Amino acid sequence: MPKLSVRTELLVAFAALAVLAMLPAFTSSKALVDFVIRAAAFGLFATSLNLLVGYGGMVSFGHGLFFGLGAYSFGLLMQRTGLPIPVAFALTLVISALSGLVIGAICVRLKEIYFAFVTLAFQMLLHSLIVSWVPLTGGDQGLLGGIPRPTFFGVNLANHIHLYMTSAVLLVVGLLLMRQIAQSPFGYTLRMIRDNPGRTSFLGVNVFRTKLTAFVLAGVFASAGGTIMSLFVSSAYPDFAYWTMSGEAIFIIMLGGTSTFLGPMVGTVVLLLLNDVVTRITPHYGLVLGIVILLFALGLRKGITDFIVEWFDDRRTARITAADAEEGAR
Amino acid sequence: MNPDALLTCFASSACLVTQVTSGFIIGMLLFLVAVGLTLIFGVLKVVNFTHGAFYMLGAYFAFTAYGLTGSFVAALAAAAVGTGLLGVVFERWFISRVYGGNVLMQLLVCYGFILIFDDVVRIVWGAEFRSMGMPDAFMLPPFIVAGGVIPAYYLFLIVCGLVIAAGLGMGLSRTRLGKTIRAASHNPDMVSALGINTGLLYACVFGFGGLLAGLAGGLAAPVRSLTSGMGFSILIESFIVTVIGGMGSILGALVGAILIGLIRTFGTLGFPLFTEGLMYLFMAVVLIAKPTGLFGKDIA
Amino acid sequence: MTRKKSGLDRRSFMALAAGGAATLSMPHIAGAQAKTIRIGMPTILSGRVAQLGTSSRNAAMMEVEKVNAAGGLAGRPIELVIRDSKGQPQEAARVARELINTDNCEMLIDAEASTGGFAVHEVARDLGVLCMHTNSETSSLTADPKLRIPNAFRCCRQGIHDSAAGGNYAASIAKAKNLTRWGVVSPDYAYGRDTTAEFLMYLKRFAPNVEVITEAWPKIFQADYTEAITKLLQAKPQALYSCLWGGDLTSFIDQSAIYALLNQMEFFAVNMADYTALTVVKNLPKGIHSGNRYIKTFPQTPANAAWGDGYRAKFNEYPTNWSWQNALVVNMLAAAAKKAGSADGKKMAEALMGLKIETPFGADGTVTMRAEDQTLIGYAIGWGTTIPTEPYVPGVTPGDWKQILELEAEWKKSKGWA
Repeated sequence: MPKLSVRTELLVAFAALAVLAMLPAFTSSKALVDFVIRAAAFGLFATSLNLLVGYGGMVSFGHGLFFGLGAYSFGLLMQRTGLPIPVAFALTLVISALSGLVIGAICVRLKEIYFAFVTLAFQMLLHSLIVSWVPLTGGDQGLLGGIPRPTFFGVNLANHIHLYMTSAVLLVVGLLLMRQIAQSPFGYTLRMIRDNPGRTSFLGVNVFRTKLTAFVLAGVFASAGGTIMSLFVSSAYPDFAYWTMSGEAIFIIMLGGTSTFLGPMVGTVVLLLLNDVVTRITPHYGLVLGIVILLFALGLRKGITDFIVEWFDDRRTARITAADAEEGAR
Repeated sequence: MNPDALLTCFASSACLVTQVTSGFIIGMLLFLVAVGLTLIFGVLKVVNFTHGAFYMLGAYFAFTAYGLTGSFVAALAAAAVGTGLLGVVFERWFISRVYGGNVLMQLLVCYGFILIFDDVVRIVWGAEFRSMGMPDAFMLPPFIVAGGVIPAYYLFLIVCGLVIAAGLGMGLSRTRLGKTIRAASHNPDMVSALGINTGLLYACVFGFGGLLAGLAGGLAAPVRSLTSGMGFSILIESFIVTVIGGMGSILGALVGAILIGLIRTFGTLGFPLFTEGLMYLFMAVVLIAKPTGLFGKDIA
Repeated sequence: MTRKKSGLDRRSFMALAAGGAATLSMPHIAGAQAKTIRIGMPTILSGRVAQLGTSSRNAAMMEVEKVNAAGGLAGRPIELVIRDSKGQPQEAARVARELINTDNCEMLIDAEASTGGFAVHEVARDLGVLCMHTNSETSSLTADPKLRIPNAFRCCRQGIHDSAAGGNYAASIAKAKNLTRWGVVSPDYAYGRDTTAEFLMYLKRFAPNVEVITEAWPKIFQADYTEAITKLLQAKPQALYSCLWGGDLTSFIDQSAIYALLNQMEFFAVNMADYTALTVVKNLPKGIHSGNRYIKTFPQTPANAAWGDGYRAKFNEYPTNWSWQNALVVNMLAAAAKKAGSADGKKMAEALMGLKIETPFGADGTVTMRAEDQTLIGYAIGWGTTIPTEPYVPGVTPGDWKQILELEAEWKKSKGWA
């Protein structure tokens, strides 16, 4: 990926936002609006996981913890405290950051498969808690009665277009921030740890602190995704904190590709489309999805964007070699 | 929370016998699934997420064979042989293509197959749940030991589990094949250089792991309802077992499985609402204290 | 294993149904604009409880065929658009929205289980379309005024009704046989907890000397009940209550059998008398007390027997509890459209208030959509004991609706909902 200047990236983000903002004006399709909201929720979630997996080499099986935590924290704050939405949202992020700090401090010391399993354990612990703490969470029925959405700064999230715009803004801002994190010196330290933790620590880098920071940041962005989802369904469900949610996110980033920043976003869009189309056609969604997965894993052996990037690289190399050959012939 | 019930139980021999044996019962089926998982990981370095699906298929093979022949022995044989062969095919055609590569890629292949197997079961055997029924040979009144109750079938199950555990332990330490397998788990290149066909070895190990899971499914079929997706919860629990016991350790799988069984049976007395959470909590504690699990050092 | 239930089946059937309706429709509406009315139906067609979803779909399609043959909804033939939510609430919400917004459905039959049902309820609140809940038995869905909306109705059982009838029945047995020490084994989720609490409340009310001495709360879809069974063995209750259902209930019974648990106590399993469970258990113990779910011999009328046999002949499987509810909803909608003289959702919603129709599933041959809280009353409800072969539950003691309604009113008051 070429390194773009911060200003260019801001411009790209602004352009993307402008396109998203104009979309409802050009189409009457409410399904498209719904689609973008869901893509924003899952996109933030998956991209934040890639911060861990792709950049940090930390394969978490428990990232759904933060998605669920975000949805539940926000939903409960809105239902119980009557705080304005932006305050509740900010508090949700703070709660996620603190939880991430505590859980991360325990988890990031572990390596590879053990890290994966202990994150899974924490996620399932949260899931058990949600299901059994019925007076607070409503247990398996989720938060009942809808999430209230008082108007703030003229934004009424009960209005679907307003919700759409808010989700789009959160998505673009979230992606931009994560992009900046990935391109910052911190991001490069993270990649270094992924590639060679031993050497990085010899260089005087505090590996533990770097990994922990990444874990907390990823958790915060995932919980923002969870918040959007809770607004979309006007509730929160234990499923959001179940391990299948983490599994889906892993599949999304594999599908889209882990080596490019926007890979998870591409994966999100493709998986959602696949889901929406296939469930219309057949109840054997699993069979179809399974076969698609195998085609990717055994056929392509890499994500969509990885494939595209490599294809371009190959062509460039081929061109250069061809040019060299021509020169040599001359 | 009800710690009194726990204390009362510790004071009564009848309760202790019943709860400890039922901990072993839960543990034995878990062990059969988990030991295959741990064996495959120890030798192939692959985390086989489809292992629960093998358990499920074993149960369905047994169901069909039992329905056709009426013989429980035939049912168990069908479960074991069917899943064993499937394991070999699965390893050769699919898993072998993602060795050494990305762990995520292995995970993805397995995830794909879980989805496919679940839907295939639904297409072949129907979406409704099924029940195989208890073979007549085991329709006996339960044994009473020191006031505790032990059903005949579960006694059979525990014996099966222990025999397999002992056989595995002996087989790996005493036989030539076992030694080769252990060697391969430490240094596959060396084994390969010695002229041993590692591909064949891997297929055998994977097939054997699948066979054990299928056998567990067959053994579970008389007492558990059969449904698509039934392999899922046992998969998660076997993971907990292998992680607690140590990935790659057979003794660890046995001890881990029994520990989980005991946590379940005693947990349900003392903490009826948090039994599940208790298992995860225990796993987290073990991982934090000893990341490689209780018996994690020696592999296979 | 002749199961042909694919999407293809459904589509070809729907084309047939629509086509048939167009040609058969009565002369006086042939001239009018007989524009098809699309009804969206989110349900669970894949995953663990897919069987319930398909049985809902089958029953609804069977009735739509009949209604279309008789002229449809105020002259408009019905086209069901059925979608799979995979049992996930967020998918149920998405699918429901999509059915209305993209597929031009004008109303919803929400054939989701409880969690999905609440999610669809929020969608109905948002979009304002007529929504009929057909599978969510959770009482609060309609009983809690905070959740209520004018465009959503429940056309199925309700937990509190079942508990009132069951508690009363169980109390009469408890008093006759002097069963005072009770145990509970129920699934640990909202349905299991609420239903059990309500059942025990009524049991203790009618048999005050009953005490609960042990409780086991296995997880839903837990495969192994050994720990619950041994716990019950230790406590030795005289009677046992359970609202386990489906495969969980049959697993529990199979595993209890080898401990000889159920020979030692009277067993009250509200969800036993459902063909899916009755036909699956290989050695169904005799004398399990159960509430009716769907059984073609209760109410013992020719209409009910004919409906059950008709379903079985058509789909080669027994109808489930979800089947009758989804069959009923189609008839309910047809009656509402007839009363309103229109297939407009708002007008039909008004017509549904207090609507009473004749049906094989009614306790007295009719059911009523109660206006006050938009929920179904008067459906067949009763308890009996099982035998291992057809008709499985030979004698069902019908519940007393007058008493059920009194108890329900009192319960609502205690919750601050009435």
